[in-house]
Amino acid sequence: MTKIEAIIQTSRFEAVKEALKEAGIEGMTVTDVRGHGRQKGHTEVYRGREYSMDLLPKTKVELVVPDRLAETVVEAILKSARTGKIGDGKIFLTKIDEAIRIRNEERGEDAL
Amino acid sequence: MTQAVPLDSLRAVCETGREALAADFQAHGDALATLAGRTALADRVLFSLVSTLFPSGGSADCGYCLLAIGGYGRRALFPSSDLDVLLLCADARAAESVSGPGGSLVRMLWDLGWRAAVTSRLLEECDRFEQDNPEFTISLLDGRYVAGDAALTAALRQKVLPALAAREQNALVRSLAEMTRERHEKYGNTLYHLEPNLKDAPGGLRDFDVACWATAVHELSRQRAWTAPESGWGGLLGEAAGEGYRFLAAIRVFLHFHNGRDDNRLTYDLQEEAAARGIGTGRTAPQPVEQWMRAYFRHARAIARLEKRRMDEALARPSLYRAFEDWRTRLSNSDFSVHHNRAYCRRPAALADPVFLLGLYEFVARHGLEPAVETETAVEQIVASGPYAAGWPGDPAAAGPPLRRILTLPSAGVALRAMHRVGVLDALLPEFRAVDSLVIRDLYHRYTVDEHTLLTIEGLHVLRHATFEPDRRFAEILAEVEQPELLYLSLLLHDVGKGMPGENHVLASVEAAGRAGLRFGLAPYERDLVIFLVRNHLEMSLTLQRRDIFDPEAVRVFSELVATPERLKMLCLLTYADIRSVNPEALTPWKAEMLWQLYAAAANYLARSVDGTRIAGSAASDRELIEVVRGSSALAALAKPLAAFLDGFPRRYLKLHAADEIAAHFEMAHRLEERLVAGETRAAEAQLRERRGQYELTVVTRDRPGLFAGITGALSTWGMNILKADAFSNRAGLVLDTFVFADLYQTLTLNPEERGRLLGDVEDVAAVRGPSEAFARRRRAPLGPAARSRSAVATEVRFDNSCSATSTIVELVARDRPGLLHRISELLAGAECNIEAALIDTQGDKAIDVFYLTRRGKKLDDAEARKLRETLVHGIEQE
Repeated sequence: MTKIEAIIQTSRFEAVKEALKEAGIEGMTVTDVRGHGRQKGHTEVYRGREYSMDLLPKTKVELVVPDRLAETVVEAILKSARTGKIGDGKIFLTKIDEAIRIRNEERGEDAL
Repeated sequence: MTQAVPLDSLRAVCETGREALAADFQAHGDALATLAGRTALADRVLFSLVSTLFPSGGSADCGYCLLAIGGYGRRALFPSSDLDVLLLCADARAAESVSGPGGSLVRMLWDLGWRAAVTSRLLEECDRFEQDNPEFTISLLDGRYVAGDAALTAALRQKVLPALAAREQNALVRSLAEMTRERHEKYGNTLYHLEPNLKDAPGGLRDFDVACWATAVHELSRQRAWTAPESGWGGLLGEAAGEGYRFLAAIRVFLHFHNGRDDNRLTYDLQEEAAARGIGTGRTAPQPVEQWMRAYFRHARAIARLEKRRMDEALARPSLYRAFEDWRTRLSNSDFSVHHNRAYCRRPAALADPVFLLGLYEFVARHGLEPAVETETAVEQIVASGPYAAGWPGDPAAAGPPLRRILTLPSAGVALRAMHRVGVLDALLPEFRAVDSLVIRDLYHRYTVDEHTLLTIEGLHVLRHATFEPDRRFAEILAEVEQPELLYLSLLLHDVGKGMPGENHVLASVEAAGRAGLRFGLAPYERDLVIFLVRNHLEMSLTLQRRDIFDPEAVRVFSELVATPERLKMLCLLTYADIRSVNPEALTPWKAEMLWQLYAAAANYLARSVDGTRIAGSAASDRELIEVVRGSSALAALAKPLAAFLDGFPRRYLKLHAADEIAAHFEMAHRLEERLVAGETRAAEAQLRERRGQYELTVVTRDRPGLFAGITGALSTWGMNILKADAFSNRAGLVLDTFVFADLYQTLTLNPEERGRLLGDVEDVAAVRGPSEAFARRRRAPLGPAARSRSAVATEVRFDNSCSATSTIVELVARDRPGLLHRISELLAGAECNIEAALIDTQGDKAIDVFYLTRRGKKLDDAEARKLRETLVHGIEQE
């Protein structure tokens, strides 16, 4: 099993969600997050005062999928989250040893 | 000698009894019969156990007795409720003799399927009120004899408790109030939860118990006698609360049977099922779930009101608090008085007059005082039976001004809730009735639509006192809103469409807002503003979610939809309040930051794009112009010359001014044209009007260097403090300048005849005819400092040469003072800069001015900009 963590533009979340649905993925965990990579912060001057936003708002989508689906999911995220501009985000993949459904203690891919 | 306990036969009795009660409830839905039946079953079991387990079998003189307490004592033993029993002993010897059997009693009750708790106390211990355990004394109020020495129970009920209540009334009621406050706080102090807790939430069964306890304590301390609490309530509210109790009790019985445990949360699924079975309605016919939930909220509201009233009556306050309340009585006036922190109407019969009635709620909104029980009952009776039954009596337009005042007063939320409680708000605003106790199921909203709406208004009022820096930014925007009452009215109406037919609630809300605006006599531009806010109340939120707010194109699209800074401020605040009132966690710091960033970006876009899009073409092909013309019959006849007048004005002009204002401007331009044609080479038209405590001056004339500086100088010389201004010009070189100013020395207010002289001076300066003698005299006299606080606002000047194709944009922030704008315009004129457009604003002590400048027909180059910055900073600071 592979855990996929995608940090994406908040404005692309609906598109990513749709793409994942089309790829057969229903479950995911979504979090509002802040951060920055190469796209440093953003500064807005309002009424003579500078308002800096060092950490930009992003949306983090986390999901665990069977290994065979990992590449499909990554492709779906890449296509739907990309705008071509700095700040589109990143995708991280990690191997997962085990998954357990708390309700009935199913394990492995059955628990996904 | 104790006998053998017939446990098997008791188990059979319990099981058969429980099954019969469940079947009976399933068949008839009679909750009170279920509660009484379970209580009787428990009594029977307990009596049987006592007679076999305890020494002397619980005979009359055994020195101990068993009392049912809590819900069991009240004969309200719900299917999964605890069975609370007090083992009351006359002395230590009796207590010792029953300690062993008491333990066995608990074990056997659990074996028989009762969640039992047995507490042992001496009679003398019941005579003490323990501050850290008020629950025990309160539970004694429900004490009911089950078995044993009846004389002990009589001693407790006839002597100990009346004396204790009389002695400790204050402490008891205060503890009860504190426990209630803490419990309500867990539920956000509102009964309007989409998945309410039937027992503990405000308006729940526990509140009904509190009303009973408060009444019991009050009567015991007054009369030293027990009275059935309900017998003294009477009236509409007592009946409604009693009905409410029966309704909620039925649901709780249903929940316990369904869940098999003491789980009192009425979830969406169970709402469906209970409504389908008509639980609590006395019928088994299914009901639509929305209608059934509305009945729930109506009943809960009655219980909550009863609890509040009974606690009010029972609450005796400490002296310091009393002193504060006495001070508040000074708030009394000829119509309303204040006692014990409640507002009383001195002439209840006058409440039938709708304007007087709204006066009561204005008083409430101003001082944050709830109406007194008597006053609210009088209102309730008038609204229920009088002319209000058919809607708002009299002229609804007359209700507009008081409603506006109520909405902007600090405790508007208290007043609106009080109005909603007794039907006044529904009569005044029938559109709001559509969302009364309306449940809309989604994953985010926690409250009913009406509660959510009232929370939005309260949330903005609370924002005025924000100390948390991120909230302070929104508070500053709120302080700048020119007509906050329109923002609050928009909030009141923004979701009413949710209770109306149709797929799109926004459209239904927009229609309702239009109707309400007409009824309350809103001016056309005010109605347009409210409709705009209601129509677009989701736009900012959607932009945050679905657009990249750091993308200039996304900001442009959003800003052009909003079109004016005032609309932007109001829409931002409406969005802030709307998100915040969805549930307590909805407005995360993340979302608040996003909202602020979008607001700031849009505000900057609006300031920097004034000359980006200008009106060009004819009225026949310009959609915006067509809309404006449609809005005014006067303009409709002048479509063609109007298009010529507007040709070259920034599009913003159409958004900033209502149709009737545009018509007035056009009329001024027309008069000016006639004068010029008649041979006047130098002419200007000026108009002055008073608006919400300030003055608005409009000047139309031909453009010339130094014009803006001249007019600001004239106003400054008259001692007027310019708060806002905008300056636009059309393609034909006609200038339209608007100034909003404060009359610092009340010159115009106290001497209305001076208005004509001021206009004359302005026209003279604008037309370069030379000032009048009076003007010249004043001009020579230096102005004194304005009575304003002097906060440290550093002068900031920023240049932007990229946003406008033809002008250099200068954004200037400085400490505001009278004459500042004149000083700045003089400096600009001295630097040979022409003001193509100007947006002047004031926020507290801060002046925020944006100028679109050209020098000799071109943008300023870097060297000119540097020099101008030095000139401005030096010139302003030196002043």
